[in-house]
Amino acid sequence: MPPLMAIEFLCRVADVLSDYLGGLNEDVIKDNFIIVYELLDEMIDNGFPLTTEPNILREMIAQPSIVSKVLSVVTGNSSNVSETLPGATASCVPWRTPDPKYANNEVYVDLVEEMDATINRDGVLVKCEIYGEVQVNSHLSGLPDLTLSFANPSILDDVRFHPCVRFRPWESNQILSFVPPDGQFKLMSYRVKKLKSTPIYVKPQLTSGGGTCRIDVLVGIRNDPGKTIDSITVQFQLPHCILSADMTSNHGTVNILANKTCLWSIERIPKDKAPSMSGTLVLETGLERLHVFPTFQVAFRIMGVALSGLQIDKLDLKNLPNRPYKGFRALTRAGEFEVRS
Amino acid sequence: MAPPAQSQRSPSPSQPSGKGEVSDLKSQLRQLAGSRAPGIDDSKRELFKKVISYMTVGIDVSSLFGEMVMCSATSDIVLKKMCYLYVGNYAKVNPDLALLTINFLQRDCKDEDPMIRGLALRSLCSLRVANLVEYLVGPLGSGLKDNNNYVRTVAVMGVLKLYHISASTCVDADFPAMLKHSMLNDSDAQVVANCLSALQEIWSSEASSSEEASREREALLSKPVVYYFLNRIKEFSEWAQCLVLELVGKYVPLETSEIFDIMNLLEDRLQHANGAVVLATIKVFLQLTLSMTDVHQQVYERIKAPLLTLVSSGSPEQSYAVLSHLHLLVMRAPYIFSSDYKHFYCQYNEPSYVKKLKLEMLTAVANESNTYEIVTELCEYAANVDIPIARESIRAVGKIALQQYDVNAIVDRLLQFLEMEKDYVTAEALVLVKDLLRKYPQWSQDCIAVVGNISSKNVQEPKAKAALIWMLGEYSQDMHDAPYILESLIDNWEEEHSAEVRLHLLTAVMKCFFKRPPETQKALGAALAAGLADFHQDVHDRALFYYRLLQYNVSVAQRVVDPPKQAVSVFADTQSSEIKDRIFDEFNSLSVVYQKPSYMFTDKEHRGPFEFSDELGNLSIGAESTDTVVPAQRVEANDKDLLLSVSEKEESGGPSNNGSAYSAPSYDGSSVSAAASSQMLSELAISTVTGHASQSSLAIDDLLGLGLPVAPAPAPSPPLLKLNSKAVLDPGTFQQKWRQLPISSSQEYSVSPRGVAALTAPQTLLRHMQGHSIHCIASGGQSPNYKFFFFAQKAEESSTFLVECIINTSSAKAQIKIKADDQSASEAFSTLFQSALSEFGLP
Repeated sequence: MPPLMAIEFLCRVADVLSDYLGGLNEDVIKDNFIIVYELLDEMIDNGFPLTTEPNILREMIAQPSIVSKVLSVVTGNSSNVSETLPGATASCVPWRTPDPKYANNEVYVDLVEEMDATINRDGVLVKCEIYGEVQVNSHLSGLPDLTLSFANPSILDDVRFHPCVRFRPWESNQILSFVPPDGQFKLMSYRVKKLKSTPIYVKPQLTSGGGTCRIDVLVGIRNDPGKTIDSITVQFQLPHCILSADMTSNHGTVNILANKTCLWSIERIPKDKAPSMSGTLVLETGLERLHVFPTFQVAFRIMGVALSGLQIDKLDLKNLPNRPYKGFRALTRAGEFEVRS
Repeated sequence: MAPPAQSQRSPSPSQPSGKGEVSDLKSQLRQLAGSRAPGIDDSKRELFKKVISYMTVGIDVSSLFGEMVMCSATSDIVLKKMCYLYVGNYAKVNPDLALLTINFLQRDCKDEDPMIRGLALRSLCSLRVANLVEYLVGPLGSGLKDNNNYVRTVAVMGVLKLYHISASTCVDADFPAMLKHSMLNDSDAQVVANCLSALQEIWSSEASSSEEASREREALLSKPVVYYFLNRIKEFSEWAQCLVLELVGKYVPLETSEIFDIMNLLEDRLQHANGAVVLATIKVFLQLTLSMTDVHQQVYERIKAPLLTLVSSGSPEQSYAVLSHLHLLVMRAPYIFSSDYKHFYCQYNEPSYVKKLKLEMLTAVANESNTYEIVTELCEYAANVDIPIARESIRAVGKIALQQYDVNAIVDRLLQFLEMEKDYVTAEALVLVKDLLRKYPQWSQDCIAVVGNISSKNVQEPKAKAALIWMLGEYSQDMHDAPYILESLIDNWEEEHSAEVRLHLLTAVMKCFFKRPPETQKALGAALAAGLADFHQDVHDRALFYYRLLQYNVSVAQRVVDPPKQAVSVFADTQSSEIKDRIFDEFNSLSVVYQKPSYMFTDKEHRGPFEFSDELGNLSIGAESTDTVVPAQRVEANDKDLLLSVSEKEESGGPSNNGSAYSAPSYDGSSVSAAASSQMLSELAISTVTGHASQSSLAIDDLLGLGLPVAPAPAPSPPLLKLNSKAVLDPGTFQQKWRQLPISSSQEYSVSPRGVAALTAPQTLLRHMQGHSIHCIASGGQSPNYKFFFFAQKAEESSTFLVECIINTSSAKAQIKIKADDQSASEAFSTLFQSALSEFGLP
């Protein structure tokens, strides 16, 4: 049994179920067990995965949306199964519904990046990498053919594509050529490694002795990305051997949560001062100094910038009756951003 | 699917409280069955939903079978689905009722709507009732020829299900040949994929009995078939692609050009969004190029990036599975990831199973150029909040040190750990320093200086304590107060619970004695006395062995216990390269995740421990099966601690180095008959040891001073045995002990006729034995053979007796096997057991 096949399939089942049911937990499954049965019936037979493509499933088994519930009350016909078999099973582009029609043709391309970084106790950037996704939301009529090119594809380290992407144009010219599925999907994911700096710095300092430990944390902008950095938070797990903690900050709020996590919400860095948090931890009796050092996890969000530097050059559309609307966005947020102390 | 109802938390859909609801449902269904009123489907749907929900939470609603079938006449597809589900679930246990459903399912198989045809066919094949298979053949045959691909897909899987219910029916109806035809000709990719999956399964299990099937199975791997699949691979769904790639991985190309053709064709699969496809492609690449060394290396370079992406994106489960594969690859080609080591740095939030594997990766990729960074990173984890990971990372540092040539910096780091003043860090570091010194004795000066500062009182863990003691013994000439530390440890002999530590203490004090006799003499005497009185067999044997060696000739003893040593160059690898190759052949399967070749977890004979627990659980008569398990278990136990066993060999095996002390044949013709089989020693033990401690320690003092022979103390009569009436032992410990201990006595008694009569209710024997403080842990069997496992504990100490007792009521005989922690007391216990048994059945 290939292990990844099982894991991928289970993830896919979870995705489809939460897509259908608007969430995934015990109660939701109990409330909708008939649909769950129906879905599983189509997704796997005799231990072999069959159809997991959401578009096709959606045609076979209707979603229990509010609209259909209203309809069923009005018309008395509450069948949530479509009358016909999906056409896409026979189509050569299985991810696309045969012939959708839209009054307003529009396509949005988002670059969403996550920065993973590890900064060690001496403030050295040990590891910094970006994991990015190109997310496309397309509402286009007919069978459109799209090509997307980047200004600087050479920075990409490793890429993975949605099955709709044709391999040859990418291999020869680094151009993404594809017939998109309808709606929201992940066109491609990529990695960019060996980044040299982070947009913000977080400097924790711990000094302990005499049964207490003094913590000071400084946060500031290191490398201005040109756009506002918001939703900044810094959190760390208090070690077990701590009796009490008293933390204050000159900006934002500090909360100590029930699971002994200290959460400092900064939001935005003010222009006039550098935010800092300081406080004292009281250690268990008998402990002179702190021996475990907490790791600070940092979160932030920057709208409008892809920190890897990846830029979309242009997006061409073919096979379309009228000019569609094209939209581009970029967003970077912190992934696993850790600062050790 | 859903777990049986265990919570009262959310009663949605409502939970029935008793049978009332079911019979209520029954009458309601009956009312609806005949009705053709409009809107009837809605009320049916509600009822069906209730029935299915009861079924899902585990309430038996099979009594509604007839009514459900009656209600199944409907055109509503959801109702049909629910009905099919119900039927599929209960048909197997109600084969008679299942017959009722055949009619309407067969009718539905001819429905106009392909969806209904497909669903009905699927349900028909899921009934799993052997005597109904004749009804399956017709619908399946027409299903395979249906003009709708959905129905054909279902029919192909149906054939496989039929095969599992009745292989002969399936083969007689010539279904495999039909599948083969559709596999090679059908226009729909999913039908083709299902055919492939079904045929692989059918032909593999037929292959053993039919030559034709095995030929067909071979034919699947022939060039035309494989190329046919490869050319269509992009039509397939991602799952079917995995299947095809698996097939291609087994294909052996005839020419080199084919290899490149296939790899070119499949290269884009490495960028597929589905990790399963990526990994399956990697397997194909690796297998194809096995014989071409250069290309194989290029493949490693090519697959690196996709693998690393798989590790860092996706769920932790995926990371774990991919890391296991990476680990396997790294073992074969350590250099490929040596520049990407940063990918294996642990992240704070990762689950510890991923972290552990990442630490192993870091250890494996370490080489001259990256060691400094890796060790620096690992040292940061030593202060981690997660203690097991902190320990693992220290161990990883040690492993890196052992595999590197330039260990200068690492030794410093390790010594810093010793000064961190955290008990578990110190403990792990001590063990490492010990191993390091065995490989690099030249570092002893630096290490000894630091180790000397550690107070033995701060070291509690047995392994660490043993390591510290080993160093004290080995380097006693350089450590000023070594004899006195050892002496104070010996003073606390009684409080030392770990036998391992006591064994090391004995050896260390011997070594110390050879180097600094006057200072150690007193300690050695005390240690040997304490060792001889020890209730642990190994400790006792080793003490006695040393005692006799010294008695025979001190210089021989020195050559045996403390010979000049050579540094260990390579520590034994835990897995043979043959096993690793087998795992590599099973790339992209669970074998890699378990780090075992598949036969080790699929074949029956390798599931020793489970087998044994089964036996204890429901005890079929057949003692032999437990015995056959034992050797495998032993081997495993030995393998687990290779490092330790190697060290033991060195210490006691001496120059000949051919086994541990217990099994070593006499290596010096004239020397002591070191054939100290434990059997013999244990017999001797009874005669010498149970004597008074003061007497024997006196004797040793004599010996050490003058080397005078000592008369063995007179054998005392076995002391009266008192058993603990409230003894407790969990089955796990029982099994473990039963495996480890030798049989100390095996006897056959006759049972009184009254006893035999009373045995009609075996419970009475258990109660009777309990009255004698002998407790039963498992029992079973049927007349005339009964089998019992008993255990008992000594009243004062935690020494345990284990008994297997097989009673045959027709011959009125009882066979008893006794195993004991303390061999010397087994005789007394045996008597006690026999008398207890003989009283059984007496008024």
